[in-house]
Amino acid sequence: MHYQTESWGSYIPATTMTVGGDPLERIERLASESAVVIFSMSTCCMCHAIKRLFCGMGVNPTVHELDEDPIRGKDMEKALMRLLGNSSTAAVLPVVFIGGKLVGSMDRVMASHISGTLVPLLKDAGALWL
Amino acid sequence: MASHRVGETGLSDSGPPTHHHHVPYAVFHGINASSTTFVNQEGSAFDFGELEQAIALQGVKVGNDEAKASFFTGRPAATLEMFPSWPMRYQQTPRQRSSKSGGESTDSGSAVNTLSSKADYHQAAQLEPESPISKKANSSSDHQQAFNQKHQQLQQQQQQLQQDHMASSDHTSSRSTAGPSSQIHSPSSSAKPTQEKRKGVGSTSEKPLDAKTLRRLAQNREAARKSRLRKKAYVQQLESSRIKLTQLEQDLQRARAQGLFLGGCGGAVGNVSSGAAIFDMEYARWLEDEQRHMTELRTGLQAHLSDSELRVIVDGYVSHYDEIFRLKGVAAKSDVFHLITGMWTTPAERCFLWMGGFKPSELIKMLTAQLDPLTEQQVMGIYSLQHSSQQAEEALFQGLEQLQQSLIETIAGGPVVDGMQQMAVALGQLTNLEGFVRQADNLRQQTLHRLRQILTVRQAARCFLVIGEYYGRLRALSSLWTSRPRESMMSDDASCQTTTELQMVQPSHHHFSSF
Repeated sequence: MHYQTESWGSYIPATTMTVGGDPLERIERLASESAVVIFSMSTCCMCHAIKRLFCGMGVNPTVHELDEDPIRGKDMEKALMRLLGNSSTAAVLPVVFIGGKLVGSMDRVMASHISGTLVPLLKDAGALWL
Repeated sequence: MASHRVGETGLSDSGPPTHHHHVPYAVFHGINASSTTFVNQEGSAFDFGELEQAIALQGVKVGNDEAKASFFTGRPAATLEMFPSWPMRYQQTPRQRSSKSGGESTDSGSAVNTLSSKADYHQAAQLEPESPISKKANSSSDHQQAFNQKHQQLQQQQQQLQQDHMASSDHTSSRSTAGPSSQIHSPSSSAKPTQEKRKGVGSTSEKPLDAKTLRRLAQNREAARKSRLRKKAYVQQLESSRIKLTQLEQDLQRARAQGLFLGGCGGAVGNVSSGAAIFDMEYARWLEDEQRHMTELRTGLQAHLSDSELRVIVDGYVSHYDEIFRLKGVAAKSDVFHLITGMWTTPAERCFLWMGGFKPSELIKMLTAQLDPLTEQQVMGIYSLQHSSQQAEEALFQGLEQLQQSLIETIAGGPVVDGMQQMAVALGQLTNLEGFVRQADNLRQQTLHRLRQILTVRQAARCFLVIGEYYGRLRALSSLWTSRPRESMMSDDASCQTTTELQMVQPSHHHFSSF
């Protein structure tokens, strides 16, 4: 069992199966397990900001701290980097999935929120209720 | 040129062997069997020098005409002077000299100035031969050394000059010594005195010299040589300064074309990094563009342009802001502190700065009163925009707080066990600042785009006009503040002023009129 201990609000602890395999597959599987999934790093402050954003909206995201998974964390981070099309490893995390679909990194999430498309997305995924 | 020079090579096989052989520019050779080693040592930098040397060694005789005149032959001792000018005409002997006097224009005997020679070289002008110095009977070793040095200097200079622009002819006019003429025509009149002097010297040299005369001659030669050296050095300085100047001008022109003043600005303000200096310049240009956009918006609204025309102006204004966000993104990479501390803005703006720029929710708050009339849907849109921007701002702010917290823990926590390690970690944490400034700018950009989406073209034009005027007045306020009379330094006075300013800064409910 893999629990995330957080101090900001409550969220569903993620359960990880001890199955190996393709990191991308694993990411997609994890992403579809919850309405809002955030791949994060416990030491990253931008990840902290995005968690705060969702909690501030009343959403309970499922957070996967990749640095706390010594075996698969690095591979998953690399897979996410490829998924995002990033060339540099600098600002990959946090990565957000809503309703199993990739939304993106912080700037995509913020742009989506400002343009007003984030809330409908959350509602569709069942993460937000009016 | 080379051939010309070669043609001018005048060698004389007469006269006592000279100890000095100068082969540099093929202008003058003191050619002599004994001096060949000297020549080799010198290692002429020019091919024609070697060519001339070869010719010299063959004992080519040069007649009294122009060809000879242009060539400096080593006569007994003479050769020291071979200074740099070329083509060099040199009269080897007083006899030759005097006989040549009528023939060549440049022969008129003024000392060859290295300086003039340089320019002359470029202009293919004729140079005057060196005077008495060349006639030196004895060459001392240190003369030779000095000669070598000069030769090398000249070679270097010559090479440099070859790569430079052609010198203007004014160099020649700067020559003071012996009035050499750099132009093709050489004023024989100016040379006359020297010529006479030369003649005089020459005539003296024809007779057996007594010690006193010899000494005098030597002193004269020495003096002339020194003055030639000085002149050479001066001209060299002038040349290099001129080159530097033209290069600087070119650089400046190039930089101006690109709109940046990298060297000048960065160098002028000592403690400003180059990234910050560049951004400041670009921001200044952006502000000029801002004025232009403001004027366009204002006149566009007043002229009641059609929606399609106004749309172009409005979208242009959005792109204008996109541009500054792009520039800030670039600047954040090189100097995030410059942005986040607001050193690029005016004091009043800096006071209310939020993460390196304006706070979107505050801007919307300021705008809501100015944007009426709005439809219900628009009001809802503006309201939700304000709400979401507030949430985003809060999230970013908390992320930044977290950053500060971890930084404090890194550098303040406990005894300094491994200072460098701590510093390295702290440096790594600081790099996250760039991300926050970029996200904040992203938020600002998205807010402006969203405003454009919600509002009609005309409303958007008014909205952007309000925004532009607001910040324009904030900037004007800053400059008024910094230039206000400070008769009293009482703190309570200062605080009163501050309060007043704060009140002024609060958004007013009436329409902003043109400032």
